[in-house]
Amino acid sequence: MRFRATVESILLSLAVCSCSVAAQEQDEDPKFKSQREAMVRLIENYGVRDAVTLAAMREVKRHEFVPDGYRNQAYADHPLPIGYGQTISQPYIVAFMTEILSPKPEMKVLEVGTGSGYQAAVLAAIGCEVYTVEIFGALAERAAARLERLGYDNVTSRHSDGHYGWLEVAPFDAVIVTAAAGHIPPALVDQLKAGGRMVIPVGSVYGVQNLILVEKDDQGEVRTRNLLPVRFVPMLEGLR
Amino acid sequence: MNRYARPLTVGLISASTLAYEILLVRVFGIEYFHHFAYMAIGVAMLGFGVAGTLLAVARPNRVTADSWFVWSAAMTPAALLASAAFVHLIPLDATQLAWDGRQWLRLAIVYLLLALPFAVGALPVLLSLLVEPQRAGRLYGASFAGAGVGAALAIAVLWIALPARALALPPAVASLGALSVARIGRGRALKASVAIVIVLSALAIARQPWRINVTPYKGLPQVEAFPVSRRVVEKTSPIGWVVAVEAPAFRHAPGLSLSYRGEFPRQIAVFVDGDIAGAVNTPAGTREDDILDWLPSATPYALGDMKDVLVLGAGGGSDVRSALVHEARAVWAVELHPELVALARSSVEAEWPSADVTWVAGDARRYVSAATRPFDLVTIGPGRAFGAAVAGVHALNEDFLHTTEAYVDYLSLVSDGGVLSITRWLTIPPRENVRVILTAVEALKRVAPNDLIDKLVVVRSWATATVLVKPAGFSVDEVRALMEWAGERRFDLAWYPGIEGPVDGFNLVDDPILYRAASAAVDGEDARRAFVDSYPFDVEPVGDSRPYPHHFLRFGSVRTFLSDRGSALPFAEWGYVALLATLFQSAVLAAVLLLVPVALRQRVGSRDLVRVVGYFSAIGLAFMSAEIAAIQQLTLLLGHPIYAVAAVLAALLVFSGFGSAWSDARPAQGSRLANLALAILLVVYAAVLLWIARWLQPAALAVRVAAAVVVLVPTAFLMGMPFPLGLRHLARGDGERVAWAWASNGFASVVAAPLSALVALQVGSRALLLVAALAYAGAAIVVARAGNSSFSVTARSRAPG
Repeated sequence: MRFRATVESILLSLAVCSCSVAAQEQDEDPKFKSQREAMVRLIENYGVRDAVTLAAMREVKRHEFVPDGYRNQAYADHPLPIGYGQTISQPYIVAFMTEILSPKPEMKVLEVGTGSGYQAAVLAAIGCEVYTVEIFGALAERAAARLERLGYDNVTSRHSDGHYGWLEVAPFDAVIVTAAAGHIPPALVDQLKAGGRMVIPVGSVYGVQNLILVEKDDQGEVRTRNLLPVRFVPMLEGLR
Repeated sequence: MNRYARPLTVGLISASTLAYEILLVRVFGIEYFHHFAYMAIGVAMLGFGVAGTLLAVARPNRVTADSWFVWSAAMTPAALLASAAFVHLIPLDATQLAWDGRQWLRLAIVYLLLALPFAVGALPVLLSLLVEPQRAGRLYGASFAGAGVGAALAIAVLWIALPARALALPPAVASLGALSVARIGRGRALKASVAIVIVLSALAIARQPWRINVTPYKGLPQVEAFPVSRRVVEKTSPIGWVVAVEAPAFRHAPGLSLSYRGEFPRQIAVFVDGDIAGAVNTPAGTREDDILDWLPSATPYALGDMKDVLVLGAGGGSDVRSALVHEARAVWAVELHPELVALARSSVEAEWPSADVTWVAGDARRYVSAATRPFDLVTIGPGRAFGAAVAGVHALNEDFLHTTEAYVDYLSLVSDGGVLSITRWLTIPPRENVRVILTAVEALKRVAPNDLIDKLVVVRSWATATVLVKPAGFSVDEVRALMEWAGERRFDLAWYPGIEGPVDGFNLVDDPILYRAASAAVDGEDARRAFVDSYPFDVEPVGDSRPYPHHFLRFGSVRTFLSDRGSALPFAEWGYVALLATLFQSAVLAAVLLLVPVALRQRVGSRDLVRVVGYFSAIGLAFMSAEIAAIQQLTLLLGHPIYAVAAVLAALLVFSGFGSAWSDARPAQGSRLANLALAILLVVYAAVLLWIARWLQPAALAVRVAAAVVVLVPTAFLMGMPFPLGLRHLARGDGERVAWAWASNGFASVVAAPLSALVALQVGSRALLLVAALAYAGAAIVVARAGNSSFSVTARSRAPG
């Protein structure tokens, strides 16, 4: 069983590499590449084990998704501002959320709150079919242009109110809501496939602290689970 | 110069700088967050001390000091204008300080700009003491009294002007001070300069040259950036800047059930100081109101009819609507902000014109203390924004709504079969919810101590936890009804009478902490203590003397944050972290800017030096500690920190001014008696002030304000005396000693502000009053050891330096 899982993971990792070839064709500063490697090693040390997720994090050029003034901090493990009070989440949290969704190529994913487009790019690098909506017009435009420029043609974005989900292309295997405001819009639950997963990060500008995972079982029953990212568990011990 | 000109100038300049300080706290609280405001202003206060250091180093003779007095008074309005105008041009992002070095440079510039007017404004005060040491009491008294008037003016102007516009007040007041010196000063350059600053100050009133930039991380700029949003209401008062925004994409439904499939009402977002404070529904049909039955705050209505409902913290009126939808006969809605009451009221009345709703704009604790009728339901909603609880930005906020005494008061008001319901946001690991459970059981022990296990229910949604407390106990049928109602909504009963173990329901958790907390709370003191001690956060219930229910980090945890190189930041309580940072930066900067330069320049004998530094440090620490403790305790009496700040500062400073002026007629040795009397009075305050506050709570606001002032007068009068008497007794009019006195007093005051806040946070305001008493007692001992030698106006008067 474990052997099968390992083989499956390796095959998916290879798929990730091939999916993102187009995006990686451009030359890049070797400094960023080594920083990205270090970032992935850190994420791995923090407990993210999913090979597919790690491969995607290794491939996506995060420095392309942060404002110019913050490029030299793109691979540091903390959030960065992108305007309109929004942030690009810290790399570890992006990896953790991605791993929780158990993403696979061809999976259809809805993202509510495109932000910089980085999370969408990571899912796209895995081979997911990503639909992403953003309420702030300027952010939506910028992210769409960026994703197109980097060759993520399996991401479809639009400027709209995430409250209604994306009915025309629903249902989704997974949903990420990065702009939760104290309630989960019913349409998002409805547009989640049976067996699907929705993840909602909760926190402040200083970082995501807890994650809410919504699971819809094969019978359509919905359950939630509050997750503490594993990286934070040892910190809590230190607070005692 | 006529004999009143100098005190008048000193008074007006002091009024302007204190008004600026208070208005800056408001403006920075809106632009950034309140904890950052305190951090910035704490450093700005160093400006006062730096002025002393500059003079100690420069050592002007009396003629020069007089000339500098005139010029510094004339330039204070310009410094105030420059500070207010330029500080808003610095693109500081305080949230990036942890990892962006550029922000530190910007922060340093902000600090310098903030400190500038305080340094320039302090010069006339100190120079006047150097020029006329024989009138130290009157001059220092004028400074005190002016500062008191400035505090009252700053609060008053916020009733009529938005905070940004109100910033034009301090330069205007300082201009009057400049005008008074221009009439007596000489030279065309001076008169021309004064004319220019007066014109500029007038222009600042007529055409505001700066604007408030609210940090984009607050809710207001984000909702205003939504498509087709528009600001529909903007009101101001000292307790908050209220803005209502209409935006179709805005929806507010705290913890809404995942089973809800109905419609969403159209809502108007309401913000206080830029933070979300709730939503006002636009008049809707019954279909849109269905949503109210699918919110966690509707839980108590599953128990059956709630005829008379008391809503504490009504916000935009959502809980009032919920009560009416659930067929309450009468509703009492209490909300602190009058502007929110007006908005909610008009919305509710448009839909239920004949509903029996009593709207109360005021403090909930005060209302509860005065209420005499029983209620079937007393309810408190989650408030604040989703995520704000996680960030801990409110850790330093005094909140008397969630103390053990408050819960006792609420439980005393519920009818025989009545219920108290408290809904809070859920964090991981839970903090606030755990404290609510422990506090509720603690209050139950005082009100209905038997069979605690039957009187508590905890309902958990995916985002919130609602604690229900019923002193009469929940029946089996009621528990069954709750289970049914919650199940339909995918909420879980984390605790209920008869529960046999943790429930794995719709919302799964790795560790059933709410169950463990409730179980420990009802099991007895040993179990409760074991749970609290083993929990990573401090969840012990808090009382009125330490009203910080949103503070959970233990002091020892700071080590973890430092050793983990910042990666534990998500668990940081920003208010608490900012307080510690303020204490650290104040201590370091004050030592570098105030004490070291003076130490390098002065040649006072070591024993004298120890006396002067010890005495003036002690009275600086004592004054600040007493002031902060009084503000905190009187907040309970007056209903809001801003009223307490206004009353305490105005009363304390004005009457300290009288005391200071009166001290000129007293022998210098009187400082020992004044300090001793203060020590005794503050011990008495520690014993009775909170009790007086609770006793007078039901009275009308005017009576409470009058009582606060009366209580403070004797202490305030005495508190004005130790500084001028000490100057005469220990500094003896000597320029070097005066410089040391000013520097050490400034150092102690700057460090004492965050230190006092930390003491209040850790051990409470009673302990803080005792700290102040001890400091005054220490000052009395220093004076006693100094003997009877004192400054004599005729024999030893000489110019400093």
